[in-house]
Amino acid sequence: MSKKVSKPRSISRRRLLATAGAALAASPLGVDLLQAQQAPIRIGMSMPQTGGLAGGGKASLLGIEIWRDDVNAKGGLLGGRKVELVVYDDKSSAAETPAIYSKLIDVDKVDLLFAPYATVPTAPIMPMVKQRGLLLIGNFSFQVNSKIGHDMWFNNAPWGPPDSWAASFLDIGQKAGGKSMALLTADQEFAQNLAKTAREVAAKRTLPIVFDQAYPPNTVEFSSIIRALKATKPDIVYVASYPPDSAGILRAVNEIGVGDSVKVFGGGMVGLQFGAVMENMGSLLNGVVNYNSWLPEKSMYFEGTKEFFDKYTKRAVEAKVDPLGYYLAPFGYASGQLIEQAIKKVGSLDQKALAKYLRENTHNTIVGAIAFSPDGERKETAVLQAQFRGVVDKNMEQFRSSGKQVILFPENLKSGELVAPFEAARK
Amino acid sequence: MKRNGVAFWSGAAVFLAAVFAMTQVVGNQYPFFAGYVILQFIALAVAWSILGGYAGYVNFGTSAFFGVGVYTSVFLVSAFGAPLPLQILTGAAVGALMGFALGLLTLRMQGIYFSIATIALTIIIETTITNWRYVGGAAGIQIQRPAVTAPFDSYVQMLFFVQALLVVLAVAISRYIQNSWIGRGLQALRDDELAAECTGVPTLRLKLIACVISGALMCAVGAPAAMYLQYADPGSAFNLNYSVTTLAMSLIGGTAHWSGPIIGAIVLGTTQQFLTVTISSEVNVLVLGVMLVLFVVGAPEGIIGLVRKLRGNRKEGEA
Repeated sequence: MSKKVSKPRSISRRRLLATAGAALAASPLGVDLLQAQQAPIRIGMSMPQTGGLAGGGKASLLGIEIWRDDVNAKGGLLGGRKVELVVYDDKSSAAETPAIYSKLIDVDKVDLLFAPYATVPTAPIMPMVKQRGLLLIGNFSFQVNSKIGHDMWFNNAPWGPPDSWAASFLDIGQKAGGKSMALLTADQEFAQNLAKTAREVAAKRTLPIVFDQAYPPNTVEFSSIIRALKATKPDIVYVASYPPDSAGILRAVNEIGVGDSVKVFGGGMVGLQFGAVMENMGSLLNGVVNYNSWLPEKSMYFEGTKEFFDKYTKRAVEAKVDPLGYYLAPFGYASGQLIEQAIKKVGSLDQKALAKYLRENTHNTIVGAIAFSPDGERKETAVLQAQFRGVVDKNMEQFRSSGKQVILFPENLKSGELVAPFEAARK
Repeated sequence: MKRNGVAFWSGAAVFLAAVFAMTQVVGNQYPFFAGYVILQFIALAVAWSILGGYAGYVNFGTSAFFGVGVYTSVFLVSAFGAPLPLQILTGAAVGALMGFALGLLTLRMQGIYFSIATIALTIIIETTITNWRYVGGAAGIQIQRPAVTAPFDSYVQMLFFVQALLVVLAVAISRYIQNSWIGRGLQALRDDELAAECTGVPTLRLKLIACVISGALMCAVGAPAAMYLQYADPGSAFNLNYSVTTLAMSLIGGTAHWSGPIIGAIVLGTTQQFLTVTISSEVNVLVLGVMLVLFVVGAPEGIIGLVRKLRGNRKEGEA
């Protein structure tokens, strides 16, 4: 009898233990313990997926997604935690981002933040991240931290010091014998920022500005402006324009010409970095010296660059974004690499420690080595100035080969010499 | 009528008390950010409806008034470091002046011509601001918030409460107009301006009053937005989106009663905020478009009209 009684008892004790174990595992504490190793690292951001900045935003996001997939394929970070992206559409508007980032921080409770592509959606969230002491990786915005002074901001863009952009272009022009400058700029945020620094640099070098005109956004007809510009006989023509006007300006130049005095033409024309626009413009691009962030020249390939573009080219078709993707996508990937290296070295998600590491070290990425100055911008500019050469009409594939955009600046990435004057280079 | 008044004011008091309690109790910041945007649109839609609904003058210039409100604040903050109440009051004064000018336009322009003129107004003002370097020009300007004043913990909570006050103010004015001689006069001129004029309705004076009040309210609503964003650029401040959304809210809610724009703004504003953080892609633009089409086809008088129709049907059935 006693045996019979003891048997079920022993079973029930075992059962009790098992139940207790199961209960512990199912309890909130147990779930936390079990999931601690598996919980993903969540990176939150808004990205323009509709509105004027959508084309760039989508390409940039694809770059970040390729990084996420690469990092997860390698087994994630911090001992097997996968990376997860939380992305909302900010409609290219400054009015949307404060609420979105509050949602990311207060409701979604993401581990890290990336900024949206471009200046306008980023500007309103700068005071917020500063106030809350959060790390923010910037995405091609221009001087958003200059007034705020947040010491946990790191911009992935190659801009560098604010005046370096204009300075590098004027250097090229002055070396070619330029003694006067004309300034043609769109009345929009980015172009006006460029124009401001160009005026300052010119004043410092006592380079006379013989023509300085801002035109309203959505201008389509530029022949009268180009005629007026031509009449002032400038040596250097610095143009800061947006995609539709960039095309209009080059068409007007093609019809009217800018005169033999012009040594270099271009500088800050947005649009000439995107595959579709370049294909459309074709031979009109020849001779133009313009800024860029990445180009398929030999000097631009670093560890992982080629592999990245192999993946991008395949996925761009499906994602319906820029088939070339040189301008933004590799920098999206580099944002991920920055954070990846910092997390690996610091060994945690402590934002202060990550920021300290990012500030004090040089980081190798697929767009080259990146080091930050105290304001969170690049220590040295890596904005390329490149000249279009031998471009033919209606051919996207030609831009994948080297030599179509010869890098003139910076010195360490240079892949050729300037052909001047502009009229000669156009042929 | 009097009992209605008591109900309205106690409703408003309960609403403000609830908003204030929320700022004291809720620690999570997101409801204030999202709620601020919804309240802002309620106030805009109610203000728009004073001219667009009662008088039938469709104003596409909401973004012009809103943007001027934003830039009035930007100017006052950069020049004098003016406090928030002063920003809102000055915004309202500037808006009233702008509304007066717009009202004079209605002397010669009606219907679609008036609407086109209001779009032109937006473009003219936006271009002016774009070329005014002191307030940032085309590049935009970042502004710093001052420290928050007690009893609020964060500036956004305070802005949320301030915006709630503006909503109550706008609704009270709109309700007063609807129930007074002004509202009856505006209704008469909406139905037939010539006939109203002939029967002795002072149409120009009424239109001027409606424009001034509507303009002042819209500008006042725009003023705190500068502090909410801590950044202003002409492209965002004068975004046509404000005009279109405000108009859509009033139409969806219904313009026949002061509560129409409120209902429309809550429905559309909440949906917009919800879609931004859920679907969050091109699809949310599509959803809004489809909603608008459905309402225009299914409920041309808005939600208010639909409810009245259903009630009427039920009463007929009962009888």
